[in-house]
Amino acid sequence: MIREVDIVVKFNSFTYLISEGIKNVLKNKKASMASLVTMICAMIMFGVFFVLGENANHVVEQVSSSQGIEVFIVNEATDEEINKLESDIWSLGDKIATVTFVSKQEALESMKEQLGSDSDLLDIYEGDNNIFPASFIVTLSDLSYSAEVEQQIWEMDNVKDITSSDQTIDTLIKIANGVKIAIGVIFVFLIIIAITIISNTIKLSVHARRKEISIMKYVGATNGFIRGPFIIEGILIGIVSSALTLLILGTGYDIIIEKIGNSSVLQVMGIQLLQFSDMLQVITIVFLALGIGIGVIGSSISMKKYLEV
Amino acid sequence: MIEFKNVSKIYVTGTEAVHNATFTIEKGEFAFLVGTSGSGKSTLIKLILKEEEASRGNIIINGKDITYLRQKRVPYLRRSMGVVFQDFRLLPDKTVYDNVAFAMHIVRATPKHIRRQVPMVLSLVGLSNKAKMYPNELSGGEQQRVALARALVNNPSMIIADEPTGNLDPETAWDIMNLLNEINARGTTVVMATHAKDIVNKMKKRVIQIDKGVIIRDDKRGGYSSEV
Repeated sequence: MIREVDIVVKFNSFTYLISEGIKNVLKNKKASMASLVTMICAMIMFGVFFVLGENANHVVEQVSSSQGIEVFIVNEATDEEINKLESDIWSLGDKIATVTFVSKQEALESMKEQLGSDSDLLDIYEGDNNIFPASFIVTLSDLSYSAEVEQQIWEMDNVKDITSSDQTIDTLIKIANGVKIAIGVIFVFLIIIAITIISNTIKLSVHARRKEISIMKYVGATNGFIRGPFIIEGILIGIVSSALTLLILGTGYDIIIEKIGNSSVLQVMGIQLLQFSDMLQVITIVFLALGIGIGVIGSSISMKKYLEV
Repeated sequence: MIEFKNVSKIYVTGTEAVHNATFTIEKGEFAFLVGTSGSGKSTLIKLILKEEEASRGNIIINGKDITYLRQKRVPYLRRSMGVVFQDFRLLPDKTVYDNVAFAMHIVRATPKHIRRQVPMVLSLVGLSNKAKMYPNELSGGEQQRVALARALVNNPSMIIADEPTGNLDPETAWDIMNLLNEINARGTTVVMATHAKDIVNKMKKRVIQIDKGVIIRDDKRGGYSSEV
């Protein structure tokens, strides 16, 4: 009839649906608990791999930004030739993240710095006696390009030598990629498991209320209206298990990070692991989307049979 | 109001439950559907409720041909009918009040409307003082009255009752019949399937008799069987 009335009516039935959904969960305590626990286990499994993957990526990023390719320039090169080399390197495109010029003087300074108190040993190399070559430090957008970029730079003029990423980086990349694949596989499994669990729980709930559903059909309830509380039940299970998983995962992660993060190996390598709060946003979005999406899909699947009266 | 035109229903099993049924029930009428079990009474009711599809013929309800009504529209058709069953079909974990209010939630009535309408129908069926009780605390007759209140609460233009007195002793059965009569007197069409002979005989209402799927009698003011 009138729009305003429609809105009020919609709101009323919405609150009705929500309260019925909550009642469903409470009425169905055992099944809800069981699916909650199973969901949490599945999500923690996914969460662990997700966290590992994020850290692996983070470590690779740190290593790759600190360990660029160092391109040494022949001593005879003129300023012009050096400029040309730089623009040649840039012309390799997106693969190049930064190109930093290190002059002969700077190379000497940095070597002195490394020697610390013994730095005066290098004083004889000041000025024209400087034997340290100038260089470009090239960092890459993605370490996996390093072999390719190295080869392309070798073909350029005035390049004396190249030192580059070593095997540790290759290994890191491989690990990071492996973890990424594992995350993908587990993610698919998680979705299948979660849909099965939730749709089973809803099936129990629907079965328990099948009499009510058939009465609703006779009184003239639309399928959408009947489905509503069950979808909300599924979503609730999804959201609550996401929240609990976040809590468990977050607490566990922070405890572990505190132990590992201070280990001397990582400190020497200058690697920092992520804080849970760094990943919180992404994880929350992923989990909520999962919880809600699976709640909707799982309950829709289990409702089909009961709506044909 | 309800019009059957040459309606047949053949189930997938091959049995023809209704054969070439033609009849019209006018607005405000009170009609009995009588016949032995398995005669096709229940199928007629199911066809009216659109729980089953007619295999042949047309069914027109409230001026609308529902033969090809889309499944999605069925709920709206059912809102124009109040349904009462032999086994009451109340929700055991809801109070009398909530059992009735439930039917209004389903059609998305406002809380204000619900608060006004539910006590009204409960007083109509004489259960105002039992609103807070649960179905298992009520007698069979009272439970059926709750079911009737639920059927009435959305002001349907017709009541479809499938053996509403089947589970009740004769005295309580008459309570229900008097109520149905009263509801009918207020202008609501009543269609009742039954095989309660004495009720049909005493009510002197229209009787549509069905046997082996065929309508064999349609008396304006009849008894249960033609011999009476």
